[in-house]
Amino acid sequence: MNRRNFLSLTGTFTAGSLILPDFLHAFGTQNNLVIGDQCVVFVQLNGGNDGLNTYIPFQDELYYKSRPTIALSKEEVIAGNNGMAFHPSLKDFATMQQNGDLSVIQNVGYANPVRSHFRSQEIWQTAPTNQEYLNQGWLGRYLDFQCNDHQPTAGINIDSIDNLALKGEEPNSITVKDPDRFTTKQTTDNSEQLSGNPQLDFVRKIANSVVEGSDAIQDALKKSTASEVNYTKNGLSKNLEWIARLIKGNLHSKVYYTSMGGFDTHDNQLAIHQNRLKELNDAVFSFYNDLKKAQLLSNVTIVVFSEFGRRVADNGRGTDHGTAAPMFIIGGNNQGKVIGNNPNLSDLDKGDLIHQIDFRSVYASLLEQKLNFSANKIGIKNSPVKGLF
Amino acid sequence: MKNEILWSLRLGFSAEQSKTIEKLGIEGFLKQSFEAPYNTTVPDLLNDSPKTFEDFKAIRKIRKENPEKSKELIKKESQTLHELKAWWIEQIIPNEFPLREKMTLFWHNHFVTSSQKVKVNYWLFQNNQLYREEAFGNFKTLTKKVLQTNAMVRYLDNTDNKKGKSNENLSRELLELFTLGIGNYSETDIKNGAKGLAGLGIGIDGAKYHPFYEDNDPIEYLGKKGVLKMNEMVDAIFDHPKIPYLLTKKIFQWFIYDQPKEELIHYYGNYFKKVNFEIKPLLVKIFTEEFAKKETAGAKIKNPLEYSLQLIDELHIENPNINALVFFLRQQGMDLFNQPNVKGWDGGNSWLTSQIYLQRNNLADLLCNGRNFNRQKSPSENNIPKKQSVTVSLEWNPNENNKEIIKELTDRTLFAVDKSSQEDFEKILKYDFDPKSPGANNAVLRLFNAIVKSPEFQII
Repeated sequence: MNRRNFLSLTGTFTAGSLILPDFLHAFGTQNNLVIGDQCVVFVQLNGGNDGLNTYIPFQDELYYKSRPTIALSKEEVIAGNNGMAFHPSLKDFATMQQNGDLSVIQNVGYANPVRSHFRSQEIWQTAPTNQEYLNQGWLGRYLDFQCNDHQPTAGINIDSIDNLALKGEEPNSITVKDPDRFTTKQTTDNSEQLSGNPQLDFVRKIANSVVEGSDAIQDALKKSTASEVNYTKNGLSKNLEWIARLIKGNLHSKVYYTSMGGFDTHDNQLAIHQNRLKELNDAVFSFYNDLKKAQLLSNVTIVVFSEFGRRVADNGRGTDHGTAAPMFIIGGNNQGKVIGNNPNLSDLDKGDLIHQIDFRSVYASLLEQKLNFSANKIGIKNSPVKGLF
Repeated sequence: MKNEILWSLRLGFSAEQSKTIEKLGIEGFLKQSFEAPYNTTVPDLLNDSPKTFEDFKAIRKIRKENPEKSKELIKKESQTLHELKAWWIEQIIPNEFPLREKMTLFWHNHFVTSSQKVKVNYWLFQNNQLYREEAFGNFKTLTKKVLQTNAMVRYLDNTDNKKGKSNENLSRELLELFTLGIGNYSETDIKNGAKGLAGLGIGIDGAKYHPFYEDNDPIEYLGKKGVLKMNEMVDAIFDHPKIPYLLTKKIFQWFIYDQPKEELIHYYGNYFKKVNFEIKPLLVKIFTEEFAKKETAGAKIKNPLEYSLQLIDELHIENPNINALVFFLRQQGMDLFNQPNVKGWDGGNSWLTSQIYLQRNNLADLLCNGRNFNRQKSPSENNIPKKQSVTVSLEWNPNENNKEIIKELTDRTLFAVDKSSQEDFEKILKYDFDPKSPGANNAVLRLFNAIVKSPEFQII
């Protein structure tokens, strides 16, 4: 039983008797009561996720006009509300929304949008004020402030390569290439694919055992309970399941980061996108359920985003690089709202949506309301998004 | 990786010589390396370091009479030793033909005389200089010369080897580690060798026999009989059929393969004997023949010096903190002038543990971020500022696209790039990367950072 339940129960049993003061009773049933560490989990969708086919303006005729071949019909989309509905692959996003645990922030982007994957990711990861070139990530700068000296597990990146967002002055984050290796640490590992070069095999073996802070991670894994939830088998699921285990084992990391690719849908979009979103849906929903069962959902904020959305008009079988797109915030006691206006398909800039909410405002909300940190300190001057938490 | 780059890394400490190798050919490059001038002066840092018997006598007196001052002297000499290590690295870094230094380092790790026991820095320097002078000389001649150094007779306790009271240390290592290798001699050879070496002790200009402690009885040594002294003993050793192989194997391990094949050692060893243990023809033959083969890349784990100097070179760091580099090498298990034992650094796989790999990655991160080598700050070492910055500049062509830049960089740094590494690198430098943008250089640096942290970068 956690503290919150204990307080509620005590309150109920005593039925308003004087044993428990009223204010404590109120405290116990307060909706946004959070006890313990807060952390944020980022899921980066690489390649530019098509926002208009993810959270769909299904009542806007311009949507169908612009996308004769790839628009999703009113019959297919799900959980329509106030003119917007989810892609059929995202049925559990709709469930989470109905549970009041998912907020949608519409039309997120930035001024003078860049349509290069490379540069736009760099912008999202470094959060510059006027698109100046920064060599440190926004989370790296935040962790530099948060950690005395350096704390290798303050940020965890589960990916094959370091992430610029977490790069700071000090090495406060680590990249874990393959979390499955942690289980094999104690046993002899023969599963390694051999290259035929004994020197290289040797160095790779060493490299795999090299994770600074791996003791802390091992500890967390030992303390953690196994998932009661069956994650579907896919790459993102695996990463999120590991993140759940680390959170449940009290690793105390502030930031977790992982990504999935395949969203650059210039061609054959319908099939590819459906598939990608299904993977995203299943992975995030399993993660959500896992955290919920462990009564940790209020402590964990999941952020799903991409470097840009895609062109309003299709190009035949797909879409080209665009600009603004919705972001999804799940858990962390968000208010479960749809924030911002529906996409305005009649007022476009070179065929692309004009952003309405700056991504740095979302960052500011996360930093100030979830991580208790003044965004100003790392050069983010935008004010937090209203109504998110 | 181009062959010239591979061989620049092997015959030196970075890709810096690849253009010269391309221009001169491998043979021309070797010839110039043999002829290139080198520093023959005693470095100034040794000016006040004790060198003569008078100096030692004065120190003994101080030690007896003034313990405070004696402590100071010890501290000073330890500082001098540190400077000597830095001095050596300074000889290596700007060298256009670093093969002589690499060979000096080879001999330094073959005929080990470590500072753990040899407390006279000048003697350590003398041996170092001997290895530099004889870098491309003759193995037999060098063996004789090494036996006549104060550092060696001191290091292997021959100063305690006297008639009637022998110490077999030098006699044993002469056969086991310096020349024939275990299994090619008997315990009697060791005992008798010690007799032959009895009385060989500290001298003014190098080790010499002290008649009072000599053993002039006839001995039998490796099949030779008579009153044999160090020179005759070395002659006997070099008449032994197994003599060429141990050194040939170590040369292979030092330059090319961590695990050389027996046939190779035999083939080149026999040639080494044929050319009378001359180093030059052996190196020429090994390097030209193995150079011509294409499949030799990826066979040797870099030692810490090769690892760090290559980084410094690639990043064009003009002012590396040599003092901190000396400490880094020590952390990495390659403390100059201070091998853990007479066998020297084992090399190969023993260069890397997960801790050492982590330190290497940390260094790569530091340097790629324009920060100098630093030392872990401990309370007593506040004199070294924690953050020193360096200017780094990476060579890459802004007229190329992402794949071409990845190729340019990995060609210089990795012996092989497999599919998954290539994918990772293309995640950092995506296809729509704009090489002309103001942030491009930082992005390419991040790519380089990832490249040099990969397992492949640990290997030549």
